[in-house]
Amino acid sequence: MNSYLKELCLLDGISGDEDNVRNYIINVIKDKCSYSVDNLGNIIALKKGRKTPPKKIMIAAHMDEVGMIVTSVRNDGTLTFDTVGGIDPSVIIGKRVRVGKNLLCGVVGSKPIHKLSSEEREKAAKVSAMYIDIGAADKADAEKYVMQGDCVYFDSQFITTDNDKIIKSKAIDDRAGCAIMLELIGSELEYDTWFVFNVQEEIGLRGSMVSAFSVQPHFAIVLEATTAADINGVSGEKRVCELGKGPVVSYMDRATMYDKELFRLAFDCAAQNNIPCQTKSMVAGGNDSGSIHLSGRGVRTMAVSLPCRYLHSPSCVIAQSDFCNAYKLVEILMKKVFD
Amino acid sequence: MDIKNTIKLLTDAKGVSGAENAACGVALDMLRKYCADAAIINGNVIGNLSEFKKDRKHLLLDAHIDQVGMIVTCITDDGFIKVGNVGGIDRRLLPAQQVTIHGKQDIKGVICSVPPHLSSGTQEVLKMTEVSIDAGMKKSELEKIVSHGDVISFDTSYSQLLGTRITAPSLDDRCGVASILYALELLSDSDNESKYNVTVLFSSQEELGERGARIAAFEINPDIAIAVDVSFGYADGETEYECGKLGKGAMIGISPSLSREISDELVETSKACNIPYQLEIMNGLTSTNADRFAVNRCGSKACTVSIPLRYMHTPVEVIDVEDVRMTAELLAAYIRGEVRK
Repeated sequence: MNSYLKELCLLDGISGDEDNVRNYIINVIKDKCSYSVDNLGNIIALKKGRKTPPKKIMIAAHMDEVGMIVTSVRNDGTLTFDTVGGIDPSVIIGKRVRVGKNLLCGVVGSKPIHKLSSEEREKAAKVSAMYIDIGAADKADAEKYVMQGDCVYFDSQFITTDNDKIIKSKAIDDRAGCAIMLELIGSELEYDTWFVFNVQEEIGLRGSMVSAFSVQPHFAIVLEATTAADINGVSGEKRVCELGKGPVVSYMDRATMYDKELFRLAFDCAAQNNIPCQTKSMVAGGNDSGSIHLSGRGVRTMAVSLPCRYLHSPSCVIAQSDFCNAYKLVEILMKKVFD
Repeated sequence: MDIKNTIKLLTDAKGVSGAENAACGVALDMLRKYCADAAIINGNVIGNLSEFKKDRKHLLLDAHIDQVGMIVTCITDDGFIKVGNVGGIDRRLLPAQQVTIHGKQDIKGVICSVPPHLSSGTQEVLKMTEVSIDAGMKKSELEKIVSHGDVISFDTSYSQLLGTRITAPSLDDRCGVASILYALELLSDSDNESKYNVTVLFSSQEELGERGARIAAFEINPDIAIAVDVSFGYADGETEYECGKLGKGAMIGISPSLSREISDELVETSKACNIPYQLEIMNGLTSTNADRFAVNRCGSKACTVSIPLRYMHTPVEVIDVEDVRMTAELLAAYIRGEVRK
């Protein structure tokens, strides 16, 4: 499961541009289950289990990551850009990026600190004050290599601490969910299970709107990464959730009021199996559950998320134990929802 | 000598101000090829080019070896590293930046970014005291590796951009070091004798207020001193007259604090040898080591030669290596005295 995670995280695929991730996933699952790709690019897979359950269950994760898109080429050959998905501009400035199909090396530049007034130095930089430098001599030179609409990806290493307990990478949101699904698809399942790998989550839960409609499940488990703020200087409920305390099961976020029975079931299963499990101390964020639970006549939905520091940045940080425990918990829940 | 490879080796080595050992070591090895007596003296790399002759003026060629970074001030009970800045850091770009903590061994870390739900729409930049580094370790684990005063550098690396442009951290001022080394290479290839007794200095602690240059200048006592540093490279939106253009050659400094005689000679040398150059007009101090050289001992004739660089003091500095080459050509021509042909 860790090699899936590393390989998936290092693939580049922002919303609407999930080809690399989709191809990788199809390559892994093609001999293990039946699957199709819909008009938006979602992968909808059915893995047969030992039994066919009375009601359909669907597991979902999204393939896209946050990133940027080139909006224009300036006279000096640098590129203006906009964000794709919710990104704090502070995590973009001064970073390395890859640009376009050819993955050109670029950097996100802005006025040097020496030229900022003392007020400007204390104000977070806006995207409009940044640009991408690919080393082009001028506009004509740049246009040989890039065009408006080219995708821009964070260029970030996948690294772990020496004891392998902590992982840092870009795109952990939500390649971690995809990796768990690949592991599940590769295992023996009790029940027939639908697995959907969604596109365009980061720009408004778009892919899952249509994939959930196609599958029309009764139960859905959404695998995600969610904001952990267990960092120095943040106390109490504002920490939201913490690394190492197990997967996060939500009761409510900005997009969904979760099914209460499933919420309780998750904690019961976790307790019975000695799996650490936590919920969030703030109502924040949202994920594909938002569109899935409202699909068709409604879907009974739960979300199992990895607590992740610095979400939507080039440096997402998760705990290996949470990753493994999320897998264990989901594997159990996939059976228990039918009991 | 391959300029790009030299810059890569120099930028791969770390040297946050006050902890320049690794970078000094690499630069010293490179300098020894041209200056047999090169050594590290009180933190500065100093070497003399060939035998000194009595009738020659003493010229100092300097580039600083240090880079901006951070320093460990505390390890918190919850396992985060608190830091102070070393040199002028742009705090706007710290969130989610990957860094290397140079403890007993190098370890990786990430600068904490406060998630949007906590910043509640305020757009204030973190104060240095609010900056924390997450190394994914507990306090007890960290304390075995990290101590107060250990330095931290941005963890980015040398990379090729389009054409002759490159990005790396610490190009300020390793590219200046590289241009001096390449100038020495050009001089060693040439039959024309140097017109000066030349001392080369790769100075420490420039980013803390030109401190290494101060004591090195006292030691060397030159008649003429040229600080080879970086200056602001133009990009759209900048004020043109305040910047040099990338790929258009070295920026020769003109300022009330510099020697106009040397500035003029550098310009004449460029013209005589058809080496592209640009002018950098300043109105007082230059914020380079030249400010120290000019007032060393009884004074020396100081000037700046600068390589245009974008995104100064960030992990993603950008230069055009052609500028490094042209700067080296100018320095070599000047030392050969080609202005007085």
